[in-house]
Amino acid sequence: MALATRAAEHPVRPARHGAAPPRAGRSESPMEKRRRRIFWPLLIPAQLANGILFLGPALASFVISFMRWDGMGEPDMVGFENYSRLLGDSVFHQAFANTLIILLVGGIAVFAVAFGLTMVLREMRGRKFIRNVVFFPVIISPVVLSILWGFIFQSNGLLESAFRGVGIPEGPNWLGDHLFLIIVVGLIWINLGLYVTILMAAVDQIPIYLYEECALAGATAWQRFRYVTLPLTWDVVTAAAVLWTIGSLKIFEFIYAFGGTSADMPPTNVWNSALFIYGKTFGGRTPAFEFGYASAAAVVTVLAVMVFVFALQRATRREPIEY
Amino acid sequence: MATLLSDRATPAHQEHPENTPPPPPRKTGSTARIGATGKVRSVGIVLVWILAAFNVGTLLWVLLTSLRTHRAIFETPWGLPIPPAFENFATALFEGEFGIAAFNTALMTVGGSITLMLLAAPAAYVLARSTRKVSGTIFALFAIGIGVPVQVIIIPLYVMLEQLHLINSLWGLFLALLGANIPFTVILLTGFMRSLPNDLEEAAALDGSSSLRTFWQIMMPLARSGIITLLTLNAINIWNETFLALVLIQDTDKQVLPVALLNFIARQQTNGADYGGLFAGVLVLVLPMILLYIWLGRRIIEGMTLGASK
Repeated sequence: MALATRAAEHPVRPARHGAAPPRAGRSESPMEKRRRRIFWPLLIPAQLANGILFLGPALASFVISFMRWDGMGEPDMVGFENYSRLLGDSVFHQAFANTLIILLVGGIAVFAVAFGLTMVLREMRGRKFIRNVVFFPVIISPVVLSILWGFIFQSNGLLESAFRGVGIPEGPNWLGDHLFLIIVVGLIWINLGLYVTILMAAVDQIPIYLYEECALAGATAWQRFRYVTLPLTWDVVTAAAVLWTIGSLKIFEFIYAFGGTSADMPPTNVWNSALFIYGKTFGGRTPAFEFGYASAAAVVTVLAVMVFVFALQRATRREPIEY
Repeated sequence: MATLLSDRATPAHQEHPENTPPPPPRKTGSTARIGATGKVRSVGIVLVWILAAFNVGTLLWVLLTSLRTHRAIFETPWGLPIPPAFENFATALFEGEFGIAAFNTALMTVGGSITLMLLAAPAAYVLARSTRKVSGTIFALFAIGIGVPVQVIIIPLYVMLEQLHLINSLWGLFLALLGANIPFTVILLTGFMRSLPNDLEEAAALDGSSSLRTFWQIMMPLARSGIITLLTLNAINIWNETFLALVLIQDTDKQVLPVALLNFIARQQTNGADYGGLFAGVLVLVLPMILLYIWLGRRIIEGMTLGASK
């Protein structure tokens, strides 16, 4: 989404040589003429793939959200019935709330911890090594990470047996009573590396003399962060916030694998919107195939998050600082 | 590629290249502190090392546990594989059907990432270089795909593939993977190609090279670094992809690794648990990614952080 808006601001690269964009009647360079000829042939294959396999289905989801349909028989147009049903569905309310909790609480935690790590790592020996180690869960299958995370907290798992080893007999029933909390902390763990890396790259761009001036002025660590680090990395932080927002919507496997098997869904109180969509269509031992209802849930979630991203960008817009 | 990240780390930097100072030298012994000092810093350093140790420890634990028998793991999850139980891998590859799943996953990964590149590179080239108005619109159409999660398109995609009799078929999964990854590939590659200088292409055009030839012989070698990065990122995405396979594939002999892992756990509920086989299966799924990361780590990190730093 960050990419989208930036693209909209600068839709096309300004022509070289100060030449006007090619239009009928204007002269254009031989290279541009040649490029015009290959424009569509080179673009069309990717464009078709995008149109048929992505944009088409995305639009169709919107249309299906106004239907009652199991994907097999004739679809019934039911107007806003699916949407009004969502309003009264406590399972959806919980899933939607969980999506927002992951987005907001998880997001704030990820950025706070990532900034903390960045501040410590900048002047630390072995920083590259640490960065690489913290990053690596990002490329591991979320199913595996979920299994490992579950194995730590399950009864007779790593945590409990470690506790027993040092003489603490019984911990809480983590997976039974605090599953969603465990999931959110796990999501912070697996995503942290990406944001640490992004912030580290941004902080590395800040010239050292600004911090030398801070030292002369006797600034505290918090003041250095508040008046130098944060303002000078602001653009990257807001872009990363959008990245987190989009990424948090796509979270599925990490939560799903807590159901334990390929056929069983985890309990509905840890569902997010993605699990809700799956649970109302293909998921579970007897799939519900409520295509219209699940599509309505998808539309509501995407619209809500689009509004959120838009508000985030409005609220965080600043004049770029040059240094 | 190193410049790919640093050149774009801040927009201010990017727009005013003449004003940018050289990357700050890391002065040792300077009085200037960037982050925390004193106790906060010491606590921070300890926490950072704990996190790093946790990540490395998890990996080592999987490695060791995949070589222990179920009974040993069940008695205590902490322990060394003495003697190593290599039969876990036989269980995983044959009983757990991780063998065929690994083959399917590798097929999707290689076929998918190469096909995506063949589709995306020409499109990214014209989008990066065209000055036509319509190219902005088309770019935006690809950009939409980055913000829309795949759960939103799965229902129509399923219906469409069903009508084409491509449900429970690796071809169907292949098409779905193309659709899910094409927007991201085109957008990132376009951004990368835009950052490349135009001069060589102009020289080639003056020398009478056709546009196609300029694309193939000038642009592709210039963009090699970005292309390799995106091939790698798509390979990682497809290797780990679970959701599409979960919905579109039912037969175990057509399954991919992450779903085979979930199926293995499901079967344990009836056949009795086998943690040894489970972690051997985990290792089959994880090890190729770890090796790829050790080989191309810097490129992967730079490619993945590009989205935000652009």
